[in-house]
Amino acid sequence: MTIRLRSWSSLLILLTAVLLLSNCSLANPANTMTVLAGSELRDIEPLLDEIEKETGIRLQLEYIGTLDGAEALLAGADFDLAWFSHARYLNLLEGGRGLIDTQEKTMLSPVVLGVKESKAHQFGWLDNPDVSWADIAAKASSGELRYAMTNPTASNSGFTALVGVAAALSDSNDALEAGKVNEEGLKEFFSGQALTAGSSGWLAESFVSSQADLDGMINYESVLLALNDSGQLDEELVLIYPQEGIITADYPLMLLNSDKREQYDELITFLRTPEFQKTLMTTTLRRPAVPGVALDSRIPDPLLVELPFPNTLEVIDALLFAYLDEQRIPAHAFFVLDVSGSMEGDGLRGLKDAMIGLTGVDQSLTGQFARFRGREKITILTFNETVQSIHQAEITDTDANSTTMAQIRDFVNGLEADGGTAIYSSLTEAYGMALAAQQTDPNRYYSIVLMSDGENTDGLNEGDFRHFYEGLAPEAQNIRTFTVLFGDADEASMAEIAELTGGRLFDSTTESLSLIFKQIRGYQ
Amino acid sequence: MDRTRILFFGIIFTALVIVTAVVLVTGGGGGRETAVGLIGSEKAPFFEDERVQEALQRNGLEVQVQKAGSREIATSFNLAEYDFAFPAGIPAARKIQQETGVSQTYTPFFTPMAIASWKPLADLLVAQGIATDMGGYYLLDMDQFLQLMAAETRWQDLPGNSVFPVSRSILLTTTDARTSNSAAMYLALASYVANEDNIVESLAEAQPIMPLMADLFLRQGLRPNSSQEPFEDYLIKGMGHSPIVLIYESQFIAQAAQNRAAILPEMVLMYPVPTIFTEHVLIPFSESGQKLGELLQTDPELRRLAIEYGLRNDDLTYFREFTGQQNIALPDSIVSVIEPPDYEVLEGMIQAIEQQYEP
Repeated sequence: MTIRLRSWSSLLILLTAVLLLSNCSLANPANTMTVLAGSELRDIEPLLDEIEKETGIRLQLEYIGTLDGAEALLAGADFDLAWFSHARYLNLLEGGRGLIDTQEKTMLSPVVLGVKESKAHQFGWLDNPDVSWADIAAKASSGELRYAMTNPTASNSGFTALVGVAAALSDSNDALEAGKVNEEGLKEFFSGQALTAGSSGWLAESFVSSQADLDGMINYESVLLALNDSGQLDEELVLIYPQEGIITADYPLMLLNSDKREQYDELITFLRTPEFQKTLMTTTLRRPAVPGVALDSRIPDPLLVELPFPNTLEVIDALLFAYLDEQRIPAHAFFVLDVSGSMEGDGLRGLKDAMIGLTGVDQSLTGQFARFRGREKITILTFNETVQSIHQAEITDTDANSTTMAQIRDFVNGLEADGGTAIYSSLTEAYGMALAAQQTDPNRYYSIVLMSDGENTDGLNEGDFRHFYEGLAPEAQNIRTFTVLFGDADEASMAEIAELTGGRLFDSTTESLSLIFKQIRGYQ
Repeated sequence: MDRTRILFFGIIFTALVIVTAVVLVTGGGGGRETAVGLIGSEKAPFFEDERVQEALQRNGLEVQVQKAGSREIATSFNLAEYDFAFPAGIPAARKIQQETGVSQTYTPFFTPMAIASWKPLADLLVAQGIATDMGGYYLLDMDQFLQLMAAETRWQDLPGNSVFPVSRSILLTTTDARTSNSAAMYLALASYVANEDNIVESLAEAQPIMPLMADLFLRQGLRPNSSQEPFEDYLIKGMGHSPIVLIYESQFIAQAAQNRAAILPEMVLMYPVPTIFTEHVLIPFSESGQKLGELLQTDPELRRLAIEYGLRNDDLTYFREFTGQQNIALPDSIVSVIEPPDYEVLEGMIQAIEQQYEP
């Protein structure tokens, strides 16, 4: 203790301060509330100042994916609030509901399909309230509708879409039960998923850069409306509200820290005032969560039929696993991994853990979905100054102890670190392999992960690679490279490769490779 | 630590003790007791009303409430931290009484179970001969409506339905039977109707109707724990989301009285025939809890305010006057009202449904 009081007046000042603080929580500098939030809530940031001005509460948001978020909260992550597009999965998880002290809805946005106007016209879908998810599945299956949608195990918009479509395509008109899922219908539907992603925001950005190759996107109504508003689209997206129904995200703000109930009450009361609801709607294009606020003219007003949400985790998990193992376009994932001398020690150990985790060893909530999935092809290519070794596998048995999984582990365990770093030559070689594979097996989703911990020292240079990539056929250029920054990797080069190929840069200098690899799995 | 510092900390500590004592005794200004309680979420707007808080403060009571599903109160909270529990429904109250051993209760008001729906759908049900238009509100024949639900009829299957050609099944939307009183009341009502208009008197008697009872809930999918949510969804998400929703009559009246703009012209109130009453039962755990129970039962102002939140007590004159002023058409006496089954029987049925959620 270092407080020293020199006079009674100081004591009085201190006591006055104590009294003020006890009576007026607004003056308390500790009036920050930490929030674990879905990444799509970034669009709230411009409103944080106003929220603070009106309530005295500063929200400090940290963004995370759906299952990552649920997993973090179950593991005891220390946040005052959680704010996701919905909390249904968390509510169903063992121990999940107990974490939530109270919750109230803050805004609404249904997950719907946006289709390019010309396609909607061609399909007869313009101003047609009878379009069904079954119609959409038929167009996907015939190859006429290539759409973007996030990975349901990584992002809430994809998750919500999967649950909704499964309910819509089932014969039952009620909540889905195990065994009543229309597997063929879902397979047809997902055959049109030409772009996947681990986050709704990245999906929207990538849709913009790949709009020539895509016909539509499944996302939050608010994201689709914002894109139409943004001037970034060559062709407007027509929003389709299929007649079987949709599922609406309602963004509950959840109190986790019960000691902050008073602040929560103050905050939620303000967020739900008609005035602020209107501001929220104008800023985010999400619908108001309180009655009596007129809808923004940019938001369509069709009949929004709500599909039932399954009432057990078993049904939902079965949907997620079936999506990964049976219904989605199977992936062919390339891992281009740096085993140069600098990886020796902790680096190589971290890399081995990350890869082995994906063979079914990681039993965590996120691990069980991120692992190598049924029908998937895996190519692991290791390099130093040249390509060192290549291991190929096709997953027919997802069991962690299957021969294929064991062989991947053996291969990874045998890796040794030595030599230089030929990033571009190795990546070019991986593209060559992916290209050949794509020609013989076009109905797969191809992507590359490039992990390096250093600068390019051997082989081709950046310009050579760019020249090579730009000479590729368009379908080959669709193979994106997700780069992982590790150790002393050259950030500029890795960012450049991600940008050139339409991939994304992941930073593993502060987070474990295991965590980053699991996140990247949402993009493969 | 030297003596001077000890002295200084001694002074600070003493001063803090005095200040704290002053703050505690005055309760921040006024000589009041505080009662902290867990309430069924449907009563939150009542307790949040400044007039209610002022009426309580005039009687020396400061009330803080926390919302919960009525049936969760007994099991999901540490009741020792509260001065009272105020669930909706006698079964939920009995559960809390069993858990805590408290026998004293106050029942200051009640409300009939009602249905919030939409004029086009209500008229459609009238055309099917299932509902009756009473001029401003509707009666719904529960026997026929239950048959419609049991047959898994879809909205689009109703003859002459051009207003709502939707492939979803016709199902009354409720809360989760495991956590919420209104769903338990629905079970009481549906079991009576399915049991050929007899109160189910034993689990053995319930056996044949249990598959249907479980279906009424399970087919809805994931449901909220607490009664405020389905009604809020009805208000904000519209007819496609919430075509026909079980509510407390009080919720509809309160909404119309507080924020008339939120009640759209197509929103209509229906009464199941028969219906069932939900009693709001306060269980005190401390003197301040008892005081609250007394005041709610006897204070004239609080009794009138309760009516303004749509709750009924024995002051039918003011209830008529108030709902008349608000231009809400509703029956002022409800003829066909059933009693819930015995506590053990209802709990047994809920447990049987609960087991169906297990894989």
